[in-house]
Amino acid sequence: MRTLQSGASLHDATVVLDDRVILRAVSVAVGPGLTLVRGPNGSGKTTLLRALAGLVPLARGDRHVFGDVLYIGHRPMLLRGLTARENLEFFARFRGSDTRSIDGALRAWGVGEVMDRPVERLSAGERRRAALARVETERAPLLLMDEPFADLDDAGVNRLRQSIAHAREDGRAIVVATHAHPELDEIARARIAIDYGAATAA
Amino acid sequence: MIDRIALVAARELRAERRQPDGVVAAVTFIAVLVLLESLVVGPQIARDADVASALFWLALAFATILATMRSFDRELEDDALEGLVALPGGRDALFGGKVLSLAVVLVLVAAIGGLLSLVLLDLAVALPLHLLVVVLLGVVALPPIVVVDVVLALRLRARAALVPILALPVLVPQLVAATRGTSAALTGDALGALSWAGLLFAFAVVYTVVGLTIVPAAIE
Repeated sequence: MRTLQSGASLHDATVVLDDRVILRAVSVAVGPGLTLVRGPNGSGKTTLLRALAGLVPLARGDRHVFGDVLYIGHRPMLLRGLTARENLEFFARFRGSDTRSIDGALRAWGVGEVMDRPVERLSAGERRRAALARVETERAPLLLMDEPFADLDDAGVNRLRQSIAHAREDGRAIVVATHAHPELDEIARARIAIDYGAATAA
Repeated sequence: MIDRIALVAARELRAERRQPDGVVAAVTFIAVLVLLESLVVGPQIARDADVASALFWLALAFATILATMRSFDRELEDDALEGLVALPGGRDALFGGKVLSLAVVLVLVAAIGGLLSLVLLDLAVALPLHLLVVVLLGVVALPPIVVVDVVLALRLRARAALVPILALPVLVPQLVAATRGTSAALTGDALGALSWAGLLFAFAVVYTVVGLTIVPAAIE
């Protein structure tokens, strides 16, 4: 097992968007292993992940991150006009990572046949699979995934479970926001329950 | 940093090649304006160096806004922009990459629009090299401030209306400089053309520095 320095924390973090308080004085810390973020729709799960990724400004509080972050949102975040392979090559090159593993990762995710097709011509599930292949092609020590199981069929769900398990073994910090998939509780190192923007360790 | 800017620009140009909506819209717009110009003001007035230059740069300013908005619209689909901004250094490379790719696209648009103007209006060019320098610097000076405006208006629903309102008043000094420089090159005023070209260079540098400073913070 390879241990990476990985993790992130928010201290007293408050996020206000459009005059609405989305996160209220949240203090959380995530370290190596799987951390689950649970909560009902609209509770602030996405904003918590975006705050950890540095994608929303904090009205109050601090954010600390150890190492690079890979954030995979609930949309695929792939640029239309480029193929799945070209998108992943761009992300990998931008991080200075090796691009040789991309073809293999896309094939392993079941989108090898369509990886040279512009992403706007892929189905929602294929786009999701291509986006999730980034977990294997970008070796960022902190992995933030927002509802990653959405749009996936059973085979995709199993593939993602394997991918999370491998990331755990590599010592990466993985944060998954989801309101389903109770089986993940068995392998989770920590759980964060969030409701009305307030977070508690569960 | 320069490597990352080049990567963002290459990604943008590749997407534009596959989905050339921005280039097509900009070229169509500029071609229609050049065609209408001589019909509206008459062939004699349309051939006047000041009038032809002014309409060319006005068309190019609108083409810049069109191409920039299309470029960011593509980024907003599927949250691709967020994918870029979430990368380490992505925020800083965004502005440079967008400006670089838009400059390449606009050089193409300006070349087509310029050739159309020269042929359709039967314009004589006294100083071709000077004209080339003025047009190149004018084109390079346009995207930085338009990209800043589009980023500032990115989360607004009415951005299609707001961006031209925000951008055009700021572009006026650049458009005046580009028009006067182009007119000087067409009529054989070498010193005038180079002076205006120098001013355009200054605009490009100032607005690039402004963009590099503002955009990484504004993109939140």
